[in-house]
Amino acid sequence: MELLTLLAVLLIALGAGLALQWPALRRQPLPGYSQRAPFLGGGTPDSHAWNRYHIRYYPMTLLLIAFEMEMMFMYPWAVVFVEKGLMAVMEMGMFLAILSVGIVYAWREGVFKWQ
Amino acid sequence: MMAWAAMVLTFLALAVGGYAVAVADRLIAGACGWPHQGNAWLAPLARGAWLYRQDANVTEAPDRPAWRLAPALYLALAALGLALVPWSPTLVVADLATGVVLWGSLEALATVAIFLHGWSANAPLALIGGYRYVALGLSYILVSMFVLIGVVLPAESLKFSQVVAAQEELWNVVRQPLGLPLFLIVGLGLTFWGPLNLADSTDLAGGTASEVSGPPRLVWEIARVAMLVAFSGIAATAFLGGWLGPWLPGPLWLALKMLAVLLALAWLGRVLPRLAPERCVTLMWVVLLPLSFVDLIWAGLEAL
Repeated sequence: MELLTLLAVLLIALGAGLALQWPALRRQPLPGYSQRAPFLGGGTPDSHAWNRYHIRYYPMTLLLIAFEMEMMFMYPWAVVFVEKGLMAVMEMGMFLAILSVGIVYAWREGVFKWQ
Repeated sequence: MMAWAAMVLTFLALAVGGYAVAVADRLIAGACGWPHQGNAWLAPLARGAWLYRQDANVTEAPDRPAWRLAPALYLALAALGLALVPWSPTLVVADLATGVVLWGSLEALATVAIFLHGWSANAPLALIGGYRYVALGLSYILVSMFVLIGVVLPAESLKFSQVVAAQEELWNVVRQPLGLPLFLIVGLGLTFWGPLNLADSTDLAGGTASEVSGPPRLVWEIARVAMLVAFSGIAATAFLGGWLGPWLPGPLWLALKMLAVLLALAWLGRVLPRLAPERCVTLMWVVLLPLSFVDLIWAGLEAL
């Protein structure tokens, strides 16, 4: 039941977002090339925008995966935390400490620098 | 029955809250002496009507379905987020046992929607805006989830209604003083507002929205303020005691708290300088993430 109402919210909002665009766009003519060309501050494009692109921050995204996995364990941990008491603090503290070493190492290696 | 009433309330809050943000943003700009046009109360409506009647730009070879989908998807994520917020112990659209997890997944999906918006125009500046947002979004999502897990600890449940019920004695904003400030920064990032506006910034001539005009632009701007409203709902629930409060009925208290968060965000968005994008990732990982660890440990020791 709850998921059904959530689905209704999703469909209503998605529908409203598309309905605001769709009828208005149908009757519009295609603009000329000078407007359709990608804006480059006066320059003309000599390649497709969907080129190969070096994402300089990709090591950071790898580090994120480690933390995302940790987050997966953290949800059930949070629910039983008070019940388990100090043992839970210790366990997650150790886990976080190990991951923090990863952050320090990544920082030293310049993973978060973006150039 | 309650769920449907809550759904009406949710969409009403999205509309009224979105309008309130737009007005507050202009009023704050006026109070600080920045230029803004016309009457602050009418200007958002006038801009909406103008955008709706304006012709929509088309690029040379866009991914058209994705380009139209992205703003609507971002709006839908905002609506889903606000649907998780309980207005009173019973008045809630969906009080999921995994509510906090779902909010986390909405934040992650917002990254997808914003990148899609930048990518589908097939224009360099829009694409750069999209890539920038991914770097920012992946960096703050951990901060967000750590502070939200901090509020889950005393509640012993991932349900937002339980999170509110656990604040009966003392609100989390006092119990976990680092939580709300960190979460507000996440809010500015999630809607790329003010200092964290890297995706749609002026140095990229509008970023992901640089090639977008007319009705799609209107939906995109509505979706951004709607996400701000949804975020304020979650912030008020997680840190400001949600519906709790004396004298007034619960839903009214929640609305007042949401408005307070919205005003704070609009003010922060105007007074803070914009961050350099290349410093943002370091700041998030090296300063804010360790601070969120501290918040979590603080919350944990306090909850025991």
